[in-house]
Amino acid sequence: MTIENDETLRMYMEESQEHLADIENDLLAMEQGGAAIDEDLVNKVFRAAHSIKGGAGFMGLNNIKALSHKMENVLGMIRSREMVPNPEVVNILLLASDALRNLIANAVQSNDIDVSEHIDALVRCAEGTLPAEDTQGTSQKVDIALPNGEVVFSPAEHEIRRARQEGKFVYLAEFDLMHDVHEKGKTPLDVLRELEKTGFIIEAKMNMADVGTLEEHTIPDRLPFMVLYATLLDPTVVNTLFKIDGQHVFEIGEDLKVRAVEEAVPADSTATEPVGQDEPTEAVVDEDAALQALDDVVRESVSQKPSVPDEKMGKALGEPEEALFSVHDTQQALQAPAMGSRAKTDVKMNEPVTKSPDMETSLRVHVSLLDALMNLAGELVLVRNQLLRAIESEDARTVQLGGQRLDLITSEIQEAIMLTRMQPIGNVFNKFQRVVRDLARSLAKQVTLIIDGSEVELDKTIIEAISDPLTHLVRNAADHGIETPEDRIKAGKKPTGIIHLRAFHEAGQVNIEISDDGRGIDGNRLAEAAVSKGLITEDQVRMMSDKEKVHLIFLPGFSTAERITDVSGRGVGMDVVKTNLDKLGGDVDIDSEPGKGAKVRIKLPLTLAIIPSQIVTLGKDRYAIPQVNMDELLRIPAAQIQERIEKVGDAEVVRLRGRLLPLLKLSEILGIESLFVDPGDGRRKADRRKNIADRRSFEKAVETENSKSEAQRPGGMSEGHLSGEALEKDVRGSKEPTTEIPGQAMHPGDRRTRSERRYHAESAVNIVVVSAGPLKYGLVVDNLHDSEEIVVKPLGRHLKHCKGYAGATIMGDGRVALILDVANLVQMAGLTSLENTERAAEVEKEAAAAVKARRDMQSLLVFRGAEDEQFAVTLSQVERIEKIKAADVEQIGGKRIIKYRGGSLPLFSIDQVAQVKPLADKDDLLVIVFIVGGREIGLLAIGPVDATDVSVEIDDTTLKQPGIMGSAIVRDHTTQFIDIYSMVETLNPGWFKNKPAVETAHGSFPTLLIVEDSNFFRNQVKSFVEDAGYDVLDAQDGVVAWNILDERGDEITLVVTDIEMPNMNGFELTKKIRADERFKAMPVIALTTLAGDANVARGKEVGIDDYQTKLDREKLLESIQVHSKGR
Amino acid sequence: MKQGSAGKPKRGVVELTTFYVGDGLCGMDILCVQEINKHMEMTKVPQAPECVMGILNLRGQIVTVVDLCKRLGLPPTENNSGGRNIIVNSEGEHIGLHVQRISDVVQADWGAVEAPPANIGGVQGKYFEGVYKTEKSLIGILNVAEVLRDEGQ
Repeated sequence: MTIENDETLRMYMEESQEHLADIENDLLAMEQGGAAIDEDLVNKVFRAAHSIKGGAGFMGLNNIKALSHKMENVLGMIRSREMVPNPEVVNILLLASDALRNLIANAVQSNDIDVSEHIDALVRCAEGTLPAEDTQGTSQKVDIALPNGEVVFSPAEHEIRRARQEGKFVYLAEFDLMHDVHEKGKTPLDVLRELEKTGFIIEAKMNMADVGTLEEHTIPDRLPFMVLYATLLDPTVVNTLFKIDGQHVFEIGEDLKVRAVEEAVPADSTATEPVGQDEPTEAVVDEDAALQALDDVVRESVSQKPSVPDEKMGKALGEPEEALFSVHDTQQALQAPAMGSRAKTDVKMNEPVTKSPDMETSLRVHVSLLDALMNLAGELVLVRNQLLRAIESEDARTVQLGGQRLDLITSEIQEAIMLTRMQPIGNVFNKFQRVVRDLARSLAKQVTLIIDGSEVELDKTIIEAISDPLTHLVRNAADHGIETPEDRIKAGKKPTGIIHLRAFHEAGQVNIEISDDGRGIDGNRLAEAAVSKGLITEDQVRMMSDKEKVHLIFLPGFSTAERITDVSGRGVGMDVVKTNLDKLGGDVDIDSEPGKGAKVRIKLPLTLAIIPSQIVTLGKDRYAIPQVNMDELLRIPAAQIQERIEKVGDAEVVRLRGRLLPLLKLSEILGIESLFVDPGDGRRKADRRKNIADRRSFEKAVETENSKSEAQRPGGMSEGHLSGEALEKDVRGSKEPTTEIPGQAMHPGDRRTRSERRYHAESAVNIVVVSAGPLKYGLVVDNLHDSEEIVVKPLGRHLKHCKGYAGATIMGDGRVALILDVANLVQMAGLTSLENTERAAEVEKEAAAAVKARRDMQSLLVFRGAEDEQFAVTLSQVERIEKIKAADVEQIGGKRIIKYRGGSLPLFSIDQVAQVKPLADKDDLLVIVFIVGGREIGLLAIGPVDATDVSVEIDDTTLKQPGIMGSAIVRDHTTQFIDIYSMVETLNPGWFKNKPAVETAHGSFPTLLIVEDSNFFRNQVKSFVEDAGYDVLDAQDGVVAWNILDERGDEITLVVTDIEMPNMNGFELTKKIRADERFKAMPVIALTTLAGDANVARGKEVGIDDYQTKLDREKLLESIQVHSKGR
Repeated sequence: MKQGSAGKPKRGVVELTTFYVGDGLCGMDILCVQEINKHMEMTKVPQAPECVMGILNLRGQIVTVVDLCKRLGLPPTENNSGGRNIIVNSEGEHIGLHVQRISDVVQADWGAVEAPPANIGGVQGKYFEGVYKTEKSLIGILNVAEVLRDEGQ
């Protein structure tokens, strides 16, 4: 081996590994194809094996050569359709290619590795299908000897015969390493590659032992390099390919005897004119013609398929037009002279090279990318010159320009450098076809692997690092996830399981999903196992959510006994997977649905070196939180702190969309003092609050605070005059309860006093919501800043015990900021998930109630009277809306009317009844038509008019006046709710003459029970029902109502109930009423805000007698009358 | 570090960078020193071992700065205006040793270096390779590898 230096060997190894990677997938494809052989594919594999063999022979790697040779034999038989690539055959080939890979990886020691097992298997495979006489041929060697009688090669006879049968010529070419190779600036491998393009090499070698004998009749110092070569080129043109002295090219004839081409030409060639090989000048002149001939042959052979490399092969072989960059060639050339002399002194081929070439250190990069980098480097130099000159001449403007250019170029260089490191994830994915196939075979399962997104690119280091974790996950999916075909059929699934491997970009990260449609992961079983192993306690299990249970699989040392098989339980658990991914800054998550399958989701950064991060401050220092871990930023305004932050046990939590999010104070974990800017004097002061919801101390001047907060008070609800009062209360230090539950209806006035506390904007709490595995928590920091792309730098060894940091980075100002490791911060704080605690359940209930309350929506028609005064009516009361011209309104008898459909429609405006601004003076008006007391009446209004569904708390005190029921904020405007009945009553008292006659079976006034959670509606309904002469009892929810019924059931004639209520809703109440013997027959009228709801059907089901909309008083009264009649 | 622990006797002349740790004069082979810089703006690392003063940006590299005084168990000195960081390369990373004051470079003959006593001015002897006497003072030659050994292990 001494003759070949490391570079050549390494190139060979790299190429061979690429071939092998292709071989594997192609073999799998062949297996799929079965008897329907795709010739292209087989040829490709054949040639790949062949290339490996060629190089191996040349480098004296006998074992590799022998093994690849046998593979080639089998492949050749598949190609000639003598053999069908059934799973058994493919299996043998796959195993052989594995062995080959192993040999190549340890090329130097390969001759000492025993591969006889594979060779035997391949030989058996070949012999099993070969006809008897051919079998003989397989093993029968033929000696190819030079005219001087020296035996150069001993190939199998059938190989040469087969080549000849395919219409090829077989040549023995003797290159001289000195003259024909090195002096032409080539390497022996280059020569082999060139030859491979137009034919195929049966064998090649460099037999040093022969040097001595050859010297006798050739020029001194000749280093023969023999190639046994089969090609379609005929002897007249073949030397344009070899480009060596004609006397060193021999043809192997039908009789397997060697003839010099020069002699053979006149004998064999009939069509072409003999070319005078003796005279080199002539050969040169004729080269064009010869090249033409060569082209023709190539074209011909392309159409015939065999022996022409397809595009991919060409790439692997490094065709010049692919322009792959390689530094090896130049080094090779530099070392070439030394080679010759070394070769002479040391002729033993098999001496192992001690140092194994390092495979990981080289990277193929497209030349265009390097060119781009080169350009950028040039640019950089120019900018440097420009800047230096500008700084010398103190030209501030040019410095600035230079700075900008520098900025641009730097980021471009960064991008380009990153690109050189990017590799498609398919490099990893593709090997899983094999993994899954083998696994399925050994487990007797049927598994299909679907791969999506192979083209997604990732940093080389990440690609390398995720290979093992991914393999583990895929194995797990196939081994534990997918059931046996019988089990699958039993479970009603298709017998073939599907594993879906998918990669895609999302939010600057690469997501990889491994999903299977198998049995899923049973969290409870995991939990049991974890408890029995003593990894966690039963108490902990009780606190766990399903998802957390599934995540137990990541616990170190976790592996349920029944899960260990020889396939995936090889001592590497999921914890290793997680640790590895964590190291990469990745995140792993499992979703599992028992019986349906599991999905493992991995998020990875595109590159490790530069990550986007959120910058926060705490105390005086900045910290970076990788955005991979970050979910959202939360800023709780001072006014909401009391409401949203509360304590559960020792932990502080924040309400976030109906869930409790545990809070960690970074200052506490890290043990540093949190700072806040004192609004009084603008200085930073230490924040000594123990609980976030606590007040800061009031040492500072009250006055400052007061004025400041007045200025900062957010707009919206009209401001009361309560500030002074509330402040005083605070100064006195009166203790407010720290928790408030907004779900419970508070009196609006009351609520305002509490919520409008005197806080500064500075007192807002800044929270970074982060995810650490299944646990999501809020990290309380002093301030939030921009997000930045930061360069991760490792921390020194003295700091590696500080688990809270993932590294450090250098900020724009040159200072260092620490990068927080959010997963470890949790551990440092000893935080456990809050899910499934009592309080969490409570809050969730509240949230559910809040959602219900939200569903208790009002459909409103919003319009305006004056330009800046907004009104609303319940949409269900509106009959229709007309557009009219102001000029069409007539004033008759002190009343406004408009002619409409042959009749006249009385009109009024709000300012006639209520103290509001007068109707805007506009040409185009709107008429909102209502039917009151059986007649139509039109309300004059202006646009914009809009129907909207809102959930609002109606304030029925502040703006209440005749005709106006109350007010609320709708779409950021204070909106007054019109009481259309009282308006019409004021305007046309006569319309309501026929008030509902009250009568009961026993002559007294019936008593109604009104159940409604909203104060506003309860009061509204109560008042007009009372006006109609009924006695009314009221209740806030179903529970209260039931208690009243239970006590005074005999007094009550009829129940009017809302549907959506806390504690017990209208349906439940009705059910209860119907279920009770006493109230079975009691009429129940349901009130809804959304008429025509699908709820109606359900209501009827549980026994609701009638549905009415909330503010349609006429219809409600009518219904009450109908239903209370006769009782 | 190149020097092993004080087992092998060393020969020849060595140039010592000398500096004050607290009130004591210490020295180390000048070849161990990569550079000496002024007290730069450091970022404190909460939860770090007590002797770590912080980390700083040394031309794009993160350097841990160790307060030599605290590391050797001496009482911390208040006035620190003349403080300097001696940047050494240890086990492939840069570490800054914070000292109170830099003194001269002293030529010392290994032959004249005496083995360290068990205790030098309150500091354990293991942190020293030896003691070198000059006309005026005593220089404790620091065993940098020992000083920077991470004791958390």
